[in-house]
Amino acid sequence: MGSAEEDYNFVFKVVLIGESGVGKTNLLSRFTRNEFNHDSRTTIGVEFSTRTILVGDAVVKAQIWDTAGLERYRAITSAYYRGAVGALVVFDITKHQTYDVVDRWLKELYDHAEASIVVMLVGNKTDLAQAREVPMEEAKMFADNNGLLFVETSALDSTNVEQAFETILKEIFHKVQKQKQRSSQGNTVSLASESPESTTLAQTEKRPCCVAL
Amino acid sequence: EYEEKTGRAHRPLSPKQNVRKNLDFEPLSTTALILEDRPANLPAKPAEEAQKHRQQYEEMVVQAKKRELKEAQKRKKQLEERCKLEESIGNAVLTWNNEILPNWETMCCSRKVRELWWQGIPPSVRGKVWSLAIGNELNITHELYDICLARAKEKWRSLSTGGAEVECEDAGFSAADREASLELIKLDISRTFPNLCIFQQGGPYHDTLHSILGAYTCYRPDVGYVQGMSFIAAVLILNLDTADAFIAFSNLLNKPCQMAFFRVDHGLMLTYFAAFEVFFEENLPKLFAHFKKNNLTPDIYLIDWIFTLYSKSLPLDLACRVWDVFCRDGEEFLFRTALGILKLFEDILTKMDFIHIAQFLTKLPEDLPSEEFFTSIAAIQMQSRNKKWAQVKKMLVFDNR
Repeated sequence: MGSAEEDYNFVFKVVLIGESGVGKTNLLSRFTRNEFNHDSRTTIGVEFSTRTILVGDAVVKAQIWDTAGLERYRAITSAYYRGAVGALVVFDITKHQTYDVVDRWLKELYDHAEASIVVMLVGNKTDLAQAREVPMEEAKMFADNNGLLFVETSALDSTNVEQAFETILKEIFHKVQKQKQRSSQGNTVSLASESPESTTLAQTEKRPCCVAL
Repeated sequence: EYEEKTGRAHRPLSPKQNVRKNLDFEPLSTTALILEDRPANLPAKPAEEAQKHRQQYEEMVVQAKKRELKEAQKRKKQLEERCKLEESIGNAVLTWNNEILPNWETMCCSRKVRELWWQGIPPSVRGKVWSLAIGNELNITHELYDICLARAKEKWRSLSTGGAEVECEDAGFSAADREASLELIKLDISRTFPNLCIFQQGGPYHDTLHSILGAYTCYRPDVGYVQGMSFIAAVLILNLDTADAFIAFSNLLNKPCQMAFFRVDHGLMLTYFAAFEVFFEENLPKLFAHFKKNNLTPDIYLIDWIFTLYSKSLPLDLACRVWDVFCRDGEEFLFRTALGILKLFEDILTKMDFIHIAQFLTKLPEDLPSEEFFTSIAAIQMQSRNKKWAQVKKMLVFDNR
């Protein structure tokens, strides 16, 4: 374990949450495949995509989870949040109701995920500015007050989608780096640190391929 | 220009793609429905026709408003129900975390906890509670899991390189058997909850499921892999970290009922079916007679239910609630659940013939109402002529000898 190359290879699990119809699946497909699907159906179960990006000189693999059915499939909530180091809480700027329930999504998130998770509030569908119901300042203030990153996006014309994911991945990366420094100061052997917080983040480090089929 | 910005080579977007289709068209009475006169270059409508159109228009608006109102009310009600449910789950989480789990030994059997348990364990503590309730009689450690997994990987490697016969230390289990078993695992993984997309090739827990099943075949080569196991492991993976899921999996399969089924011990399986029929006749005599008349033996539906612990035939959320109580009450609850299902659908089943009953019972309705379902299970008496499940089973074992 611990060649220089491995030290800079990370897998970050990021989950997408928010009301049905706010565009989670399209944000995911825009970021990972540069696609937008007008006729996308309700997600059943979990959609799952990865994309590798450079953060500084480190290669970071984003493993992004998207689900619709959290309220329909309670049985998978635990698996959905387990090991996540980042979360995008998405709402639709043209539907106030999807913004009103953001705090409920946050509650569920903090109930299941590690406290150290990096959270970003995302107001999607800025291409429908004429139908806007949620003022940007309002959402921005909410994000600031709750210690969340904030961005407005359009998965349709791809405004800010790239930036949103890059920002959160960078933030996670910095958190991991800080943690690594701390644990190396404490003379702990890199990965198997005892503290629960660093265990979660340490787990995100790329492991050798598990299964040889 | 767009591509330069993102630096990714993808097919260019056609301008048309950048226009959002009006998919979520809502019949907003004020905006979407507009009554217009004919264009000025055409002769005006006769008064009679104009009047008729106005009337039709007004009817449409009224209908649209009604629909909107109904929809809005429905949404509001759904939201309220969701809030209520989330709140009760939130409260339950607090009780489990702050009161029950820290005092497990003393509290786990109290009446209050049993009642809360019956309501369903909240997803965030479910894994912990299952682990505690299943226990670890086999004293499996994380290290043992690693060892078993390493062995499994060794075998996969030698198989994939087409290497020479693996020298197997477990005499009596041929390499061919093992190979067949490994093939079966691969095949079954892709068929495990396919609509969740979690365990399929490329999915997030595909490798985990593969690892646990492989490690188990090395831990218990005498049992090996048997169909149905992939569902049990998958449900555990959804709720526990890998090594803990393996510990729960091995201990769960080690219970007498699961051992009987997964080792395909026909004699014992028949005993279980016979015991089940005793309680079937006791609780639902009419349906029992109907099944007898149609030659519908319990193996037809019970095999599926017991091998997968209901995770294949019941909606997943309900199956997990069945698991909650099964982890606490043991095998008896599996058969009680079976009777609960039969009781809930007694009226429908009485009108069906052999084929339809068999089809119905192996794929139960997706929208099965959870409260009615558990009420129905609760109404099942697990006593027959003053004898409990275990006593009836014991008697039948003697009879079989």
